[in-house]
Amino acid sequence: MEGEDWDDLSSESDLLEQDLKDEDEYNYASNSSSKLQFRKVTSVARWNSEVGMAEVVQTKGQLWTTTGIVRSGKLYCSIEETLFLMEIGALHLVSENDQSVSLETMYQQLAEEKDGCCWELYEVYRHLKLLGYIVGRHDIPWSLKSVKRNTGTVSSEGTSESQEVHSPHDCNSIIERLTKMDLNELKLVFDVYLPNGKFRKSSPGDPSYVLCLIRGQPPSKIEVEALERQCGGLPLKFCLVESGRVSFFSFSKVELPILP
Amino acid sequence: MGLRWKGKGAEVRAQADPMSKIVSQLKLSLIESNAHGVLSGCSVLLAVEAVQSDLLNRACFGRPVVTAEKDKQWFQLSMEEAFYLCYILKCLSIHGGDDHRKTDEELWEHMTDKKSTFPEFFKAYAHLRMKNWVVRSGSQYGVDYVAYRHHPSLVHSEYAVLVSTQEHSGENGRLRVWSDVHCMVRLCGSVAKALLVLYISKCGHGDASPSCVTLYSVEERVVGRWSPKDCREDHSIAVNGH
Repeated sequence: MEGEDWDDLSSESDLLEQDLKDEDEYNYASNSSSKLQFRKVTSVARWNSEVGMAEVVQTKGQLWTTTGIVRSGKLYCSIEETLFLMEIGALHLVSENDQSVSLETMYQQLAEEKDGCCWELYEVYRHLKLLGYIVGRHDIPWSLKSVKRNTGTVSSEGTSESQEVHSPHDCNSIIERLTKMDLNELKLVFDVYLPNGKFRKSSPGDPSYVLCLIRGQPPSKIEVEALERQCGGLPLKFCLVESGRVSFFSFSKVELPILP
Repeated sequence: MGLRWKGKGAEVRAQADPMSKIVSQLKLSLIESNAHGVLSGCSVLLAVEAVQSDLLNRACFGRPVVTAEKDKQWFQLSMEEAFYLCYILKCLSIHGGDDHRKTDEELWEHMTDKKSTFPEFFKAYAHLRMKNWVVRSGSQYGVDYVAYRHHPSLVHSEYAVLVSTQEHSGENGRLRVWSDVHCMVRLCGSVAKALLVLYISKCGHGDASPSCVTLYSVEERVVGRWSPKDCREDHSIAVNGH
């Protein structure tokens, strides 16, 4: 790009090149689109329809360091996490009475939009996960056992454990915040962390970006401002899903300098 | 995207000759010569001599009108440019076709009548000009203005500017649909400019008189596309984090 006159609108060849790149995704041959490597290790989780999440009963592989929330020593994964892992063949899901649950059933479950997620939101999640990002629901802690970890002794861990929620009802109250989310409302949906091999649920740090799923029209200035206030200084991105294509936009406040 | 000087030495030349200095030279010169323009439709025509012609060119106000007249050069100013010289810099008087000098209020009425969004557009124009940015029409790029750090012969424009009048039912009507956002971001990217949106709020002040404009507020935002594919590593985090 360097050294060329980009002001010159007649540099059609660059645009053409971009177009060809865009259309690269169209493959005539069937099945050639998949570059996914399917997993050989499979964890097992049991869907809990009451909480709208899956409880992981058998973990395999490294992916659980960046997937699922920990409550009362148990690992729960949201519907988008469950679906994603099922799609890549890393998770075997069973129902409450230990029947195997198919991907189809879970796609239907997602379509009902009862578990705090919807297809578009799932597409955003998958898009970022496939690029290696760490994605969690906005403002839902990865773990309640956190922060006070620096003392590091067994006893202090024991104390923080005891402060955690224990009954399934407590767990429900967290889930409720997810399920009652009105998906048509303009609100923050995901916290996104850059790919990071040292990520820990007990000390995730601040997310790199906070995402807002947007439909219909581009946001007004008032909407952007309201969401920015909720983000508390973290960079806000708007994600838009149109016919399976995920785009992210920022509307960042700037201040042009006063020139000499 | 961003700042791109045109060739070697351009940046040095710009630094040696700040835009604020050029504009104040123009201002003094126009005041001294008691310059006046003629309001014609949506333009103001102004005849100047060689020195002022050079200053207008260097400060990037108006465009020259080619005529056979040898002793003076005609310039055509846009409404924003003319009103800026007249009302903000107070170095140009503007006459009607009847050769009577128009008051600021008369001009304001004429211009808002010709263009209902003139108050917001003028605010946007003046906002950037007062920060010493060079502002030109953006119609070549499908935007309202383009903003340059210095004279366009020295530097490429950095910003494609859209004026958002969203607050009052949005007469400007840009960026209302995603296809327009996609289109603008794509186009700006291909010509290496950032898309700057100036949100003009009248803050409850109407547009009855030009004095209202000083009470309007301006918010600057850059609209861009984030590509998660290309941003997986953040250097600031790599430096700070462990």
